[in-house]
Amino acid sequence: MTESNIKLIKIILLAFLLVWIVFTLFPLYFQLITSLKPVAEINAMVPTFWPETFRPGNYLGIFADPGSLKSLMDSLIVSISNTILSLLLGTLAGYALARYLKGIVGENLAFWILSNRMFPPVAVIIPMFFLFDATPWGTDSYVSLILLYLVFNLPLATWLMMVFFRDAPRELEEASYLDGYTPLKTFFKITLPLVFPGMISVAMLCWIFAWNEYLFANLLTGTTVKTFPVHIPSFTQGSQTLWNLVMAFSMVAMIPPVGMFIILRRYMVRGLSLGVVKG
Amino acid sequence: MVHLELNKICKGFDHPVIDRLSLKVDKGEFFVIVGPSGIGKTTLLRCIAGLEKLDEGEIFIEGDNVTNVPPYNRNVAMTFESYALYPHMTVFENIANPLKALKKEDSLIRSRVYEIAELLHIDGLLERKPHEISGGQKQRTALGRTLAAHPRVFLLDEPISHLDAKIRAELRTQFHTLEALREVSTVYVTHDYAEALSLGDRIGVMGNGGLVQIGTAHEIYEKPNSLFVAQHLGQPSINSLEIDLIEEAEKPSAIAGSLKLPVDLNHWEHLKRKNITKCTLGIRPQFVKVVNGDQSSEDNSLELNGMVEVYEALGAYGVMITSVVGQKLTVLTDPEDKYDHDENIIIRIDPSTFNYFDLNNGVNLIP
Repeated sequence: MTESNIKLIKIILLAFLLVWIVFTLFPLYFQLITSLKPVAEINAMVPTFWPETFRPGNYLGIFADPGSLKSLMDSLIVSISNTILSLLLGTLAGYALARYLKGIVGENLAFWILSNRMFPPVAVIIPMFFLFDATPWGTDSYVSLILLYLVFNLPLATWLMMVFFRDAPRELEEASYLDGYTPLKTFFKITLPLVFPGMISVAMLCWIFAWNEYLFANLLTGTTVKTFPVHIPSFTQGSQTLWNLVMAFSMVAMIPPVGMFIILRRYMVRGLSLGVVKG
Repeated sequence: MVHLELNKICKGFDHPVIDRLSLKVDKGEFFVIVGPSGIGKTTLLRCIAGLEKLDEGEIFIEGDNVTNVPPYNRNVAMTFESYALYPHMTVFENIANPLKALKKEDSLIRSRVYEIAELLHIDGLLERKPHEISGGQKQRTALGRTLAAHPRVFLLDEPISHLDAKIRAELRTQFHTLEALREVSTVYVTHDYAEALSLGDRIGVMGNGGLVQIGTAHEIYEKPNSLFVAQHLGQPSINSLEIDLIEEAEKPSAIAGSLKLPVDLNHWEHLKRKNITKCTLGIRPQFVKVVNGDQSSEDNSLELNGMVEVYEALGAYGVMITSVVGQKLTVLTDPEDKYDHDENIIIRIDPSTFNYFDLNNGVNLIP
């Protein structure tokens, strides 16, 4: 291949990359500028790609409704509780599957657990509604939403943790037994630190699911508990949707996951590639 | 005094690996188990450590029956072939781990770790993580962790097999001088016969689910009780030839094809008493000498004409495969001698060094 051909291929690839960047970043850009526009400008027939008037006050405006802050708090309560529970139970179950349930029983059980994640959530929405309605705390409560998200997050957490535990060398645990530690102490002192990057990845995946979930939150809750995805439609006044406030609120709601990802991405990458290369 | 005792222990997975193995190791003894890969040496160590549950049999340490005692209560230390160092801990923390399990005071832990690190020449690495040190240093760290807590038995699983020759020699010397190892009993597993011969107070050769011979290095090397032992101890491996035994005019001979070798009269007495007419003859390559022209002796019944097939110069010695009337014999040669392919040579044998093994079960026929 001649040098000019290589150059041409590079240019084509860069052009492709540029198009891809525009496709992924444009919605974010439009979200940002919309969040800074006044109402009149968002309703203009010809959209503007740079705000004519800046309205940073939109960000204060969204919190004029006390429900906004509460919905973010509700989302935090539900997603954090759910993540902790998923991680706790998923880690213990994953360890049991990886170390104690071997052979055909273990494999089938592990696959059955994962298969719980495969059905379309909408298929169980009515039974779930009746199920939680029959509980003492009813449908519109933190407990219901936390438990319901567990149905989806626990299989994923269990399966992923099982894979991480399988990759953690058994000999390290055995060395720890010979050092004089019981299996339980060994689990906390040796095994857990080995799979810690994996746990961070699992926590992030569980947290993002619980943070963004809309379908169940909308159908089950809405009065006592109202997570932020359910709160967003309330920025509609009469027949008019206040897109600037919707976008400003969405921007605020993006801060926790993006912030967490930036802080934890070091572990996230290591966790997702754990066991890919022996080392 | 017996320190470690295995009484008819059995362990199998889908097939029996250890079958009614019994062994007594004295206090202060360095017992080396040698055998080919996959024969169950590591499984035996894991059984002693308590990492594998016995199918049958009992294990005693200092007279206590520990058969059903879990590994964390046995007070046994083991180095793993893969080192098994905790990757998230520093060298210091790795060595200190067994002491922490015993809830020792911090000052005591620190002084003990420094003492061991100095002994093993890793005192400059204590703050490093395992991935930041070399293979030899990892090995020493693993050994340090084993030595830290004054266990009742040391189990060392091929601890120096993956190291380069220089560090291996250095550590081998260290094993001779480590006081800690001499205070209790040590079971050391290796597949390297030279390591076994060099280190073991006694050596056990493992094969077919048990220890096929136990003895000192000298006993096992000079008097292997079976062809299996003879073949697995010694480098290059022993020459084995299927022979017919005949006696002509009161001169006994061993016949392998067209090759005729004299039989030592002492050996012949034993063989004759047992009515042996066919067996396997074992000749150590060390005991076959290449004769240079001027060294030729008068008794040329012990000399044979051969032709060089392969010659490898290995530094300290040379290994030659020579064809003697259709039979291949491996010969150990002096390092300064050089041989060419197809070169004609004369070799001298010493019938008193021959071993005779049963054709069916491989047992040494000369007591």
